[in-house]
Amino acid sequence: MFEPQTLLVLIPALPLAACLVTVVLGPHVLRDSSHWPTVLGLVGSLVLSLMLVASWQQRLEVRGAPAELLVTCWSWVDVAGAYRQAPAPPSPTGVAVQPGGLRDLRVDVVLRADALTAIMLVMVTFVSTLVGIYSIGYMRGDRGYWRFFACISLFVFSMTMLVSVSNFLLVYVFWEAVGVCSYLLIGFWYQKPEAAAAGKKAFLVNRVGDVGFALAIFLIWITYGTLNFHDSPGVDGVLGQARLSGALGYVGGGVGLAICLCLLLGACGKSAQFPLHVWLPDAMEGPTPVSALIHAATMVTAGVYLVTRCAPLFTVSPEAQLVVASIGGFTALLAALMALTQFDLKRILAYSTISQLGYMFLALGTGTLAGITAGMFHLFTHAFFKALLFLGAGSVMHAMGHVIDMRRFGGLRRVLPVTHVTFAVGCLALAGVFPLSGFWSKDAILASVHERAHQLDHELAHRQPQPGAAAGHTTPDRPASDRVVAGVDSHARWDAGREGGSGPALSTGQLRQHARVYRGLYWVGLGTAFLTAIYTFRAFFLTFYGRERIPHEAGEHAHESPRSMVIPLVILAVGAAVVGGWLTGTGGFARLLAETPSLTLATIRESAGAGGFHYDIAVASSVAALVGIGLAAFLYLGHDREIELLTWLLDGRWLKGLAERPWGARLAGMPLVAAIRRGADAAGLGSLARLLGNLVLLLILLLISPLLIGYYVSPYRLSRDKFFLDEIYAVLVVWPLRATAAVCDAADRWLVDGLVNVLGRIPVWAGGLMRALQMGLVPFYGLAMLLGILTLIAARVLWGAG
Amino acid sequence: MSELALLQNYLLIGALLFGLGLTGFLVRRNLIVMFLCAEMMLQGISVSLVAWGRYHDDWGGQMLVVFILAVAACEAGIALALILMLRQRSGSLDIVAWQQLREEGQARYVDREVPEEREEPPQWPRLTPAGIEPPWDPDEALHRSHV
Repeated sequence: MFEPQTLLVLIPALPLAACLVTVVLGPHVLRDSSHWPTVLGLVGSLVLSLMLVASWQQRLEVRGAPAELLVTCWSWVDVAGAYRQAPAPPSPTGVAVQPGGLRDLRVDVVLRADALTAIMLVMVTFVSTLVGIYSIGYMRGDRGYWRFFACISLFVFSMTMLVSVSNFLLVYVFWEAVGVCSYLLIGFWYQKPEAAAAGKKAFLVNRVGDVGFALAIFLIWITYGTLNFHDSPGVDGVLGQARLSGALGYVGGGVGLAICLCLLLGACGKSAQFPLHVWLPDAMEGPTPVSALIHAATMVTAGVYLVTRCAPLFTVSPEAQLVVASIGGFTALLAALMALTQFDLKRILAYSTISQLGYMFLALGTGTLAGITAGMFHLFTHAFFKALLFLGAGSVMHAMGHVIDMRRFGGLRRVLPVTHVTFAVGCLALAGVFPLSGFWSKDAILASVHERAHQLDHELAHRQPQPGAAAGHTTPDRPASDRVVAGVDSHARWDAGREGGSGPALSTGQLRQHARVYRGLYWVGLGTAFLTAIYTFRAFFLTFYGRERIPHEAGEHAHESPRSMVIPLVILAVGAAVVGGWLTGTGGFARLLAETPSLTLATIRESAGAGGFHYDIAVASSVAALVGIGLAAFLYLGHDREIELLTWLLDGRWLKGLAERPWGARLAGMPLVAAIRRGADAAGLGSLARLLGNLVLLLILLLISPLLIGYYVSPYRLSRDKFFLDEIYAVLVVWPLRATAAVCDAADRWLVDGLVNVLGRIPVWAGGLMRALQMGLVPFYGLAMLLGILTLIAARVLWGAG
Repeated sequence: MSELALLQNYLLIGALLFGLGLTGFLVRRNLIVMFLCAEMMLQGISVSLVAWGRYHDDWGGQMLVVFILAVAACEAGIALALILMLRQRSGSLDIVAWQQLREEGQARYVDREVPEEREEPPQWPRLTPAGIEPPWDPDEALHRSHV
């Protein structure tokens, strides 16, 4: 019906139109039916996205068709000769990166679709459509009903633009736009101080990441001389054909690493990875549909999208890939540990989101096609089941009168039957139980990490017998055939391609270290799968099983949610159940994603290797998940004796008891000590004995102090208080900033304002000198006038006569 | 009488009128008198204008005088109305009654200081017993004015 170009423009245009209509008509005309523009716009976008994917499938059948679609809308910036570029250093394989010369700064608003964009578009519009429909029921009666839907459609516009623009600067623009929407929606109930503070926190933490992204853009500009992804006449884009085919390379070394790490910092901010993850749990102050849409399914995956999009840049620096994988693995584990002890249902899901995003980064960090596919696949399936879980939590909240503390309700499976079943599906999918979606994607991630470690091992073994490849021997002077390119099986096939590609090179020592790290990360991933099962089912059992408890806030509302909320739940549950198996079975996802031009780079492509199904890993992860579920069932179903025991053990309250015992008095009371004392007294050595006794007491105190520390930072407390990261940030970042702000405030108030005030007082003071003349007597004014005129006349006569 | 002498006489009269009006305007406090003084200054100017016109043998001076008369008539109407209103408000024609428009913190102008009354009781002379000659008392002679 439509040309693909038209589709690509219409997909973001519909939500934008919906936003404008809602803003104009919402407050006074539409009022309680403000959802119509948004829902219609989102449904339209979804249909168009599906049509785009369908047209893409047709394109794939025609070999030789370009794998990307470009629509140039208009030119935003055009500065001729903006920058004189020095030639960029050659790539690690010696291929030229960018010749020097005069560069034009030209930023066209170009929409670009490839397979990756199409997948993201479908995912975003699908989830947002369902969340939009769900919000009709959830937000009904809210004062800001139209404001909510305006923000949602603005968000969908920004997100669809973010994934379809073809320029780093425009990505940055829409990166910020989704951040603004997130800020607006976290602080949607702005009268609530926590919500306002959470919005501010999210915004500020994201700014830290954005500084990294901005620096990455600057570096890309001075290195590659363009910010475009695509090729345009005379300019080779960063992800253009010339680079992907190997005619031009990607810069490696320090600059390449810096670009990758700065991009990663930006991605960490938006995707809530380890150093910058603190904003996401607080973002749960927003309305639950927002948590589902923005803070679980779509916006937080922007970082994953960015790293995937820039995968070719990462191929040249294996260190950066290792950092990506390590941050991902570490975050996955850390967030899973934090989720174990929370009592806020939505916050558990938030930590789970952080943890699952960590999985995605872990997969992307492998740098292989299998890894990237696994990461994107997990992003896709995660959107389904995490949105489902959040919407289920929203349904529980809706029924419980906005109570979210799991200690206050329980046993809801009879009250909320549909929510119960759909939530169960979501939990099983998240825990990675066969055959639900999470199982397939998580297995793919673990398999890709394992395979990567295996590849590095293999490469190491391959290199061992060669005498020239000693540790610490750096690469540029080594022949190309020695270079590490992942995918050992395909050596012969890709020998030719590798010459032109920009394959990274590692010394043997680095190789050994990387292999060790990836192997460790595999075990971290497996352990996290186990923890995921525990915390997911802990939340599930606490909410839906046990004694039926309903908080008094629920009042009369403790019943199943309205149909507009239940239908999206059911659709998402079906999606969460089957989409993973279906896409793995048909292989459609991997096939489609592999058509993405930026993933056709030789170094990525030749690592395609296996990427198939691994029974051993699938069994291992399934066992981990099932054991986790079993443990959760054992602990949280039935008697809570075991929990109390565990809490007691891990809370370390007994350590405090131990530390507070009157050890000294006890020691003194012991018969042996008393006997020694008496003997020493008798021998005349009483003072020496007392000195010794005091020394022993001091020793005991020293031994006890770790117990007290153990009490204050017991495992339970670490988990419940999020490893005190918020507090650490408060001390390290917030307080110094506050102090600086106070100093600046004082300087402004006293120094700058003081100077201005002094200047302002001069006329007042000068006027004060003349004040005495204004005495209110008309004859005096007359006299003053006369004297003035006489003075003027005298002056005229004396000086001005000529 | 020569033209110049005539001019001098007229200018002298005009200057006298102006000076008298100015002095009156500055030293008198009655609103109506001040107004009349201002009129007198105008007339002084008018006389000199007419004189100069005669001296130069043109009508410019006289024309200006006609203007002055018209303006003065208007001014008289407004000024008298204002004076009437001020009289009604303050009950007096004294210009000093309207000194509120002075700078804040300035002392109010008061016409004359009333001398302070002595607080101590007056000393009355002691009467000497009748029938004998009183001794001469110089102090008492000094106080005799108090009787």
